[in-house]
Amino acid sequence: MAGTRFAILVLAVGVAASAALVSRASVASSRITVYAAASLTNVFPKIDARPRYSFGGSNTLAAQIEQGAPADVFASADSVLPRQLFAKRLCSKPVVFARNQLIVVVPRSNPAGIRRVSDLAGSGVKIVIADAGVPVGSYTLQVLKRLDLTDGVLANVVSRETDVREVLAKVALGEADAGFVYATDAKAAGPKVKVVKIPGRAQPRIAYAMCVVGSGSHTRAARAFVHEVLGKRGQAQLRKAGFLPRPKSKRR
Amino acid sequence: MFVRRLLLAVLLAGAAALALAFLVLPLVAIFVHASPGRLLSQLSSPVATDAFVVTLKTSVGAQALIVLFGTPTAYLIATRRFVGRSLAITLVELPLVLPPAVAGIGLLAAFGRVGLLGDSLGALGITLPFTQAAVVIAVAYVASPLYVRQAIAAFETVDPNLVAASRTLGAGPSRTFARVVLPLARAGLAAGLALSFARGLGEFGATIMFAGSLQGVTQTLPLAIYAQFDQAQGFDAAVALGAALVLVSLVLLLSLRLLLSWPSSSSTRSSFRFGLSTSG
Repeated sequence: MAGTRFAILVLAVGVAASAALVSRASVASSRITVYAAASLTNVFPKIDARPRYSFGGSNTLAAQIEQGAPADVFASADSVLPRQLFAKRLCSKPVVFARNQLIVVVPRSNPAGIRRVSDLAGSGVKIVIADAGVPVGSYTLQVLKRLDLTDGVLANVVSRETDVREVLAKVALGEADAGFVYATDAKAAGPKVKVVKIPGRAQPRIAYAMCVVGSGSHTRAARAFVHEVLGKRGQAQLRKAGFLPRPKSKRR
Repeated sequence: MFVRRLLLAVLLAGAAALALAFLVLPLVAIFVHASPGRLLSQLSSPVATDAFVVTLKTSVGAQALIVLFGTPTAYLIATRRFVGRSLAITLVELPLVLPPAVAGIGLLAAFGRVGLLGDSLGALGITLPFTQAAVVIAVAYVASPLYVRQAIAAFETVDPNLVAASRTLGAGPSRTFARVVLPLARAGLAAGLALSFARGLGEFGATIMFAGSLQGVTQTLPLAIYAQFDQAQGFDAAVALGAALVLVSLVLLLSLRLLLSWPSSSSTRSSFRFGLSTSG
């Protein structure tokens, strides 16, 4: 008798708890959610500390948005992924907000003695790059192609990571001999890594674009965030982090 | 009274139905998403076949290590009483509750190039990170508790009188172990191996941190699923690989059920019968 009552109570509490959980999941909070490329991890919170951030490989984030993730803003390390979302009517027309450069990082001790990009094709060098689907991974492949190093370097690749910060981490830890990352990542890693420059003729055009995601519930605040990034303070912070200013032609 | 009982029964059935639906729905969704034809074509892609080969090779390697070192460890813990025994049990079980990402960090900090043993390994010309050996180590680390726990339990149920009888009949300790203890504990050991194998197949966190991810070398099935998920056309491939893993896990679990329903080795009579049938 008491047991029956207790069991009913437990079940009722369980049902109530799961109902609360489900309703929590759909109730929007007052903060906007920004999905941003891993290379923006350090700079975006400095521009605006209020939003909730989810940093990762731009392609992972785009895939999550396609699956209905509750993002209000999408900031990608390229302009292709936002344009694809725009074409699918999942976000507003993308706007370029920064540019970047690709570089090679080596651990401070530089165990493989890398001085030039061409040294990466030497035997036994352990190289980490990002997966081809990640923007930085496709930029890496472009650089290698332009320098005619594709075969030599890809033969030395020991891992294809899921975002640029994973590449950086494996090099900064000293586990890999070299990795391709953005100039801004090397700056963020500080003295743990040394930089090997990539010749200007091989530099890909790296333009970061962002858009307001349609499924988000805070279109207005999301637009304000985009303005903030494009504004004077936002651009100053981006430059301070090592990003290049966005192209002058102000087409919105 | 009757109404209350009816209410309880309805509530119980409802809760159970919800729980089952919750557990099964994601699996059903995987198979709804991928028609059998598409599934097969995706599974024959190079990424998928490479991932299968890498997973199979590293799993077999890891399970071999686990059996080789886990069996004596489990036997020692199960049969001897020594100082620090419960500490040993705790240590053996620890990887079970440890987040795999922590295991990955730990493996890097221990066996990485700049890790604790990095210099000594380097002097021997061995670098582990980003190699298939690193996958084997990661899987062995994370999956071993499932085998060792089950093995301890299996050895504990072996009737000491049978061991003693074997010894008084003139068999040495190793002969007794091979001819009496192992056959009696066999079902339990096999069940532990099945569990540990299943856990090893799903290993992700420690592997991606310690071994990285490279197709054909260190990219196991779970890593391939993760890598495919965000590729342009990759979601279908990820789902197909997922479906394959669901099927494999299901088969492993079913064989586990079969193993555990073998004649129980704890009852002397049945194990005796069992012993006779295997020797005869």
